[in-house]
Amino acid sequence: MKGRMTWFNVTSVALGFAFLYIPILLLVIYSFNDSKLVTVWGGWSTRWYAGLLNNEELMKAAWVTLRVAVVSSTIATVLGLLAAIVLTRMNRFPGRTLFSGMVFAPLVMPEVITGLSLLLLFVAVGFDRGFWTLTLAHTTLTMCFAAVVIQARLYDFDKSVEEAAMDLGASPLKSFMQVTLPIIAPSVISAWLLAFTLSLDDFVIASFTTGPGATTLPMKIYSQVRLGVTPEINAISTLMIGVVALGVIVAALSQKRAMVRQQAETRAVDAGAK
Amino acid sequence: MSVATTNDTMPAPAASPSAKKARRTPAPQSSFAPWKDPNATPIVRFENVTKRFGSFVAVNNISLDIYEREFFALLGPSGCGKTTLLRMLAGFEKPTEGRIIVNGKDVTDLMPYERDAVNMMFQSYALFPHMSVERNIGFGLRQEGMPAADIDARVDEAMGMLELKQFAKRKPHQLSGGQQQRVALARAIAKKPRIMLLDEPLGALDKRLRQTAQFELMHIQESTGTTFIIVTHDQEEAMTVSSRIAVMDHGELVQVSTPGEIYETPQSQYVASFIGDVNILECRVSNVLPDGQLELNWVDGTGKFVAQPPPSGATKDQQVWLALRPEKVRIGLDRPATDVNAIPGKVENIGYLGSISHYHVAVGNDESVTALRANASLAVDNTINWENDVWLDWPADAGVVLIR
Amino acid sequence: MRRWIVIGIPYFWLLVLFLIPFLIVFKISLSDTASAMPPYTPVLDFANLRAFFAGLDFENYGFIFSDPLYTNAYWASLKIAFISTLLTLIIAYPVAYGMARAPKQWQPLLVMFVILPFWTSFLIRVYAWIGILKKEGLLNLFLSNFGIDPLTIHNTVYAVYIGIVYSYLPFMILPLYASLEKLNPALLEAAQDLGSPPWKTFWQVTFPLSIPGVMAGCFLVFIPAMGEFVIPDLLGGSDTLMIGKTLWSEFFSNRDWPLASAVAVILLFMLVIPIVLFQRNQQNQREAAR
Repeated sequence: MKGRMTWFNVTSVALGFAFLYIPILLLVIYSFNDSKLVTVWGGWSTRWYAGLLNNEELMKAAWVTLRVAVVSSTIATVLGLLAAIVLTRMNRFPGRTLFSGMVFAPLVMPEVITGLSLLLLFVAVGFDRGFWTLTLAHTTLTMCFAAVVIQARLYDFDKSVEEAAMDLGASPLKSFMQVTLPIIAPSVISAWLLAFTLSLDDFVIASFTTGPGATTLPMKIYSQVRLGVTPEINAISTLMIGVVALGVIVAALSQKRAMVRQQAETRAVDAGAK
Repeated sequence: MSVATTNDTMPAPAASPSAKKARRTPAPQSSFAPWKDPNATPIVRFENVTKRFGSFVAVNNISLDIYEREFFALLGPSGCGKTTLLRMLAGFEKPTEGRIIVNGKDVTDLMPYERDAVNMMFQSYALFPHMSVERNIGFGLRQEGMPAADIDARVDEAMGMLELKQFAKRKPHQLSGGQQQRVALARAIAKKPRIMLLDEPLGALDKRLRQTAQFELMHIQESTGTTFIIVTHDQEEAMTVSSRIAVMDHGELVQVSTPGEIYETPQSQYVASFIGDVNILECRVSNVLPDGQLELNWVDGTGKFVAQPPPSGATKDQQVWLALRPEKVRIGLDRPATDVNAIPGKVENIGYLGSISHYHVAVGNDESVTALRANASLAVDNTINWENDVWLDWPADAGVVLIR
Repeated sequence: MRRWIVIGIPYFWLLVLFLIPFLIVFKISLSDTASAMPPYTPVLDFANLRAFFAGLDFENYGFIFSDPLYTNAYWASLKIAFISTLLTLIIAYPVAYGMARAPKQWQPLLVMFVILPFWTSFLIRVYAWIGILKKEGLLNLFLSNFGIDPLTIHNTVYAVYIGIVYSYLPFMILPLYASLEKLNPALLEAAQDLGSPPWKTFWQVTFPLSIPGVMAGCFLVFIPAMGEFVIPDLLGGSDTLMIGKTLWSEFFSNRDWPLASAVAVILLFMLVIPIVLFQRNQQNQREAAR
């Protein structure tokens, strides 16, 4: 749908976005507050950021979080890709309904339930809780998100492109690797990014499934948040937001550059053709 | 009696197939007819092929031979099974029953990538969006493990044939529809298949571009000597390009003949009305004349007709249908000399198309017949107008007697 | 053969790490607490299955249903999840509608801006509201400029509503936008041409056609909100009971694993119907798109 935007439309979009962004903006601004009291503006300062770097425990937690996120999102993307192929391409096999149920249910399942159930599994089989149990838990949750992202792309994928590859002599595996995968690559990358941020972000499931040696950054933040609002937490939060914003900007710019390059190519080809 | 008007975009059904045929090959049509030669071996043979999807029968027990260098058209409305038949030949669908033999070899159980004699051009073109034109065209050759230099030469040749050289480095989305269509063709042709399959290859092009592309297809088919099998729902396209047409309906072959035969001697009402415009008069055989001709009584009005019998013959009192092409029906204000093959009527509607006019004439018991007349002169004396009482007549060899 | 590998790997993974854990939760909900590790009894013992099954009972469920602390928490969760879902829908609809009417070239950017907060930490976004809502927070600081007395929002149920609406807003906007964006503007013009004024056109054409999006959005908010822990814990204070919090404290503070499991099983039963409806809705939409 498109049409002329009325004032009502413009206002509601503006208000909606203000609601989404003002809390984050305030948080960022107050992370540069020199005063320890949140409500008193004591002038600009970066002293809370300097303090962060010296906080060894925090750095250690950040390192654990990052490692878990990289490993779990990578495995989750592979598993999610397989699950997406099963959901879109394999129409009849025993237990298909159960399978799609298991892919979609974790998306809405309250985290306390998922976390508790995984913990009880690890206890039942006698796994020591720590880095690997946490990674397994995150992989399970995020593979479902990855599967949903990739299957949406596979659904509107023109199957005749794959058929053309096979008609031209490529085996199914080859045509998947040479044709399908490159075409759906953007969705695979966004699936990975989604899995990565979900893992970075998770607090509830991590609290259940991790052990003493592997405290994550969200867990650290949570324990400090419970004690009240402090400029240090504002500073960590701002850093985390900054990393994401940077990533998004880089992604957007590189996409734009690719488009510009393509246009330039077209012009060059046209000029050559004359 | 009914008037079937299947294709209004075809102003002169009589002229188009024969005229375009004449332009096509300098050699007379009859010289190439391997299907008439009992010793010729077909390059493609469908043997009692049936394809069911669940309870739906897409293709029902079809047996069909196609010969080398033919330009063979599978023609029919959507859902008639023509695409399924083509996809079974390419290997994307497996027949439920029957065998498919290509070049003397049973390929029924081979996967698409194992059928090197066959390549397909897809309706959606199915170009690889992440590869340039030349990489697209070379894709099939790379699968064979051909040396790079040979691939380059073949790709170059294919691009030359389809005038794509200046677009070699472009991605598919940087091409127009017509250019994409040529890349899709070049990609399949580069594999030098014995048989090219084309699934509605020109369906996405506009009418003007489509005509150019039809001649291009014919040119490539002749210059490479490849057997082409095309699936289309466009009867004009099938008539233009093909050496033989198989008309399909509900998963079955209705008639397999040359375009001329299909148009001039259809074997059923379905074929007659699917190709071009036709008037169909329901009749009963009143007499079989000594010279073999049939005397017919018109069911929906008073009229006595004489016509050639169908190949299978006809007996007295049999129900038959007389198919009359509009351009073979003469329309005039005066009563013809003989009562045979002549009926009176009143002009209901006139469609003026410039070079010709369609006259829709009410005849018999609330029936209607269409006649065509060339607007050859500007003379006004014989002008036929709305509401005029007119006479329609035709020679004995103009109509075709159909028994179904 | 290759087909079975592709199906088998994710299938096996989800069976072991998603389905079987639920069975274990169910089993433990029938057990009793024990001061051991693991802190429940009986432990599955294949040598003595008879004694194992004899040790299972529904005692925990009886306890939960007889104690108003738990039943109230379930009711409060239902109520809070329902009201916040409704509020989210009311706020998200005009935003999604406005986005769908925006110029085509702007729409991808607007969608990106809706998704962007989702990429920042959930915990941080909830935390941001503490600074705004607390007694000496930024909202009251702002209001004091106009001579308005400080409001008490933090540590009340209202803060929980705000937190849920804020955190889940993108989940509502995106499916709504997706269904509104598909709407053919000619339909609205046709309705107006046939004499329907804009307001009626909205209720007779636009809204009915957006119902799949409304359904998807409501499920995406309601189901996780039911079991929400972080928001009531950080914003709701000790007065706000929600079942996610109860489960958490049974598990972490009281170390009563069997009771926590029973709480989870009941919550899961309450959510089975919405989860099934959600999946059916998604499936219908996918088939309609084909």
